[in-house]
Amino acid sequence: MAVTKNEHGQTNSINQVRYGCAVGALYSVVSIPGAVPIGHCGPGCMDKQYTSLAFYNGFQGSGYSGGSVSPSVNAGEKEVVFGGEKRLDELIKSTLKIIEGDLFVVLNGCIGELVGDDVGAVVSKYQKQGVPIVYAETGGFKGNNFVGHEIITTAIIDQYVDKYALNKDHREKGLINVWSELPYQNTFWRGDLSELKRILEGAGFRVNILFGGKSAGVEEWKTIPHAQFNLVVSPWLGLKTAKHLEEKYNQPYLHIPVLPIGAQQTAAFIRQVVEYAGIDPATAESFIEQEEQEYYYYLEHFNDFYSEYWWGLPATYAVVGDSTYNLALNKFLVNQLGLIPKRQIITDNAPEKYREAIAQEYQKLAHDVATTVDFVEDGYIVGKLLKETDFGHKPPIIFGTTWERDTVKELKGKIVEVGFPASYEVVLNKSYIGYRGALQLIEKIFTAAISASA
Amino acid sequence: MGKINLRMVEVQNRERRLGTIIAWNGTASDLHTQSGYQRRGSGCKSNKDGCRLCEAKGPFTQGSVCSEQMVECQAGNVRDAVLIQHSPIGCGAGQVPYNSIYRNGLAMRGHKVENIRIINTNLQETDMVFGALGKLKQSIDDAWERYSPKAIFIGTSCPTGIIGEDIESVARKKEEELGIPVIPLFCEGFRSKHWSTGFDATQHGILRQIVKKSTKKQEDLVNVISLWGSDIFTPMFKEFNLRVNYVVDMASVSDLEQLSEAAATVGFCYTLSSYMAAALEQEFGVPEVKAPMPYGFAGTDAWLRELGKVTHREELVEQYIAKEHARVKPKIAELKKKLQGLKGYVATGSAYAHGLIQVLRELDIQVDGSLVFHHDPVYDSGDAREDSLGHLIENYGEVPSFNVSNRQQYQFYGLLQEVKPDFILIRHNGLAPLASKLGIPAAPLGDEHIAIGYEGIVNLGEAILDILAHKKFHDDLKKHAKLPYKQWWLEQKDPYILAKHPELIDAQPTIS
Repeated sequence: MAVTKNEHGQTNSINQVRYGCAVGALYSVVSIPGAVPIGHCGPGCMDKQYTSLAFYNGFQGSGYSGGSVSPSVNAGEKEVVFGGEKRLDELIKSTLKIIEGDLFVVLNGCIGELVGDDVGAVVSKYQKQGVPIVYAETGGFKGNNFVGHEIITTAIIDQYVDKYALNKDHREKGLINVWSELPYQNTFWRGDLSELKRILEGAGFRVNILFGGKSAGVEEWKTIPHAQFNLVVSPWLGLKTAKHLEEKYNQPYLHIPVLPIGAQQTAAFIRQVVEYAGIDPATAESFIEQEEQEYYYYLEHFNDFYSEYWWGLPATYAVVGDSTYNLALNKFLVNQLGLIPKRQIITDNAPEKYREAIAQEYQKLAHDVATTVDFVEDGYIVGKLLKETDFGHKPPIIFGTTWERDTVKELKGKIVEVGFPASYEVVLNKSYIGYRGALQLIEKIFTAAISASA
Repeated sequence: MGKINLRMVEVQNRERRLGTIIAWNGTASDLHTQSGYQRRGSGCKSNKDGCRLCEAKGPFTQGSVCSEQMVECQAGNVRDAVLIQHSPIGCGAGQVPYNSIYRNGLAMRGHKVENIRIINTNLQETDMVFGALGKLKQSIDDAWERYSPKAIFIGTSCPTGIIGEDIESVARKKEEELGIPVIPLFCEGFRSKHWSTGFDATQHGILRQIVKKSTKKQEDLVNVISLWGSDIFTPMFKEFNLRVNYVVDMASVSDLEQLSEAAATVGFCYTLSSYMAAALEQEFGVPEVKAPMPYGFAGTDAWLRELGKVTHREELVEQYIAKEHARVKPKIAELKKKLQGLKGYVATGSAYAHGLIQVLRELDIQVDGSLVFHHDPVYDSGDAREDSLGHLIENYGEVPSFNVSNRQQYQFYGLLQEVKPDFILIRHNGLAPLASKLGIPAAPLGDEHIAIGYEGIVNLGEAILDILAHKKFHDDLKKHAKLPYKQWWLEQKDPYILAKHPELIDAQPTIS
């Protein structure tokens, strides 16, 4: 079959990958405290996802159950020829003996799916014995780790939460389930999710953040049905899960496509959630006031630099990254800093059905600023588009990934690595969102802009 | 031991060729005796499957590494070539680590720093049903259009192996059409139990389709089969009027072409160089330097003398040996004072570990234990001079706790409890994070050339001093980190207990 090229010349080829595969969502499992992934896949699958998503992407680390801890069938010729169910069975049995976990998630990979292993049958035997274990069909050819992430969250909800949650019809006003960034894929997810939780709690909510160090782990997942509503903070990721929960528990959801960065967006975000929830806005308003006081205290001091620095600052920018961060950064850079958008490239293979709505958001970045966005996954085309862009009389600042370093050198611009892979960033609890993250982002941008000036 | 067969498109995997194992528990001398190096080297024709070493394989395994990853880090690192991964996108995730390693390697060797050139064919669910040779052809055309490469490698994947893609015929047609080598490398992860088969797959393809068939010789050229390590060979070889031809990582295609013209081939680790060095000798008459590896005084002396013999530079080599001994011995004496009383542990690939233990013992560091990721009972030449484990035991003595464990962290815990080292030397990821949670610092050897030769003894000593200072960090972490292993497992004295008694997994309650 002949391959057709799209308007940018993109074929099936992908240079410079910008996501993992469905099995890469094993890092969504790793990011839930107490959860342990089990790979029903080849010997290199887990390691590849680890070294790319969790190591050479901010060096986030393997945590409790990632890296070389994660059990794997390491399928060989025998499993390919005779099937791997028996091997998986003994792996699960021995995992339960050796690894301490509150929840085990079996991820079926390419090999298991292609040879037709009935992973569900193997796992259900343990489920019947009361073992906290679920399975997910995450063959790498099914799509990327964004797709895998929602396969896994659905699997945990259907096979674990549904079984173990108490009083599933009980709702608590002011309790929210948050679905936002993709753990590990987004280099700053840990810091970002804790800032998101902090903001929402400051506004008077109780928050199931579900992933990362601020989550109460598997226990927290069991309270998903008790939430007043699901909050999806991303252009598309999480919508599938929210819709699933709506059908399953008759739980409504609020979709806010823009992850808030900076005081303006964050205040708007808080007010929108508060209004939707129908809780008393007094707490939120006093929180906003307090946060703004602190935020603008710093901005006032930053102002000397921003208005008087002699040696020049970039005026134009491009963002290359997944939908969530791309849009969030654009809103902030335009509205808060007054930078000029020149090229925006979304790289997460956002589902076709959401692309029009995402593009619309770029049409209203500010009341007087609109721009267009391209959906591209192939790094070669990304580089080509950036090189074709007219950035004006000064070199631009590029918000991208390690893959953009060569292009940025050619453009004589500056780079801020904001997404997978960020192989020249060490990231612990750094955040670029909300009030506190925005300040860190400003520091990062302008340190990058001036650090090479002499 | 059969001859290397370059007529076959697919490389024969290590377990069949060499009898490679990935799980074993005992002493170094036991493993050596059971490997029967010399008997095998002299031809163990009755045993078609190679070695019959018993493998201590149990029901529990943690994710390791696959052959395709080694193809990415070798074929993907040839400077003016392109590697195509015929696979779903997940295999492409490997582009990220290997890009980082490539970029840093280029910088270390003084080449222009740029992104790795790997293209993924991005196979999807329908391709699994209908096949995807059209996508493979498209990606080859894209590679050609984007980079005008001097060669194109195609790496296979588990899915393409299972659905039976006829990659060879596409490669042959494209090779004719483009006029450059288009080289299929068969590296499905499931095909071999150890990733080192991926080295062989890359080398096999290069030997078949890139290396020149000419009989021209360059008498001062020496092939050095290595990875990304710093350039320690050029200055060393200059003393013998020899030039270095580094392969495979960061070589150009023309460097690979001239492999057949060299006066000799050397390697820093037989795990890596075994296949290519033996094949170059067998098929192109390039002698392989068959000697102990260049680690520690004994190893380096013997290695240099053999190099001198093969390249007819005996006298220059003797002068160099004398000069270097005199130069480094006082430095080493100083280091020994600082390193006194320390216990080390080596956890790396097989032959490399043998070399590192030699260097540690040269520094008077106690080494009671080692974990190697696999064990090849014999290397491809079959020559006893390459018996790296035998050389270690003969010159530097026994290693009482010598274990083969394919990066199985859960076993590493028990091994560390047994040996209680002050530091570990590692190369591949996965083990150091556990050691650090136990308060044991690790010296990661990204630059694989750091411990080679006489200066290597000094280098490694200094690297260990640096890393011991990190102990403060690890000791602090130890107090706060939680291990993911159950108490039942942490209390086991024998890390191989489940391999020896698999019935134990039924004997314990499933949920604690």
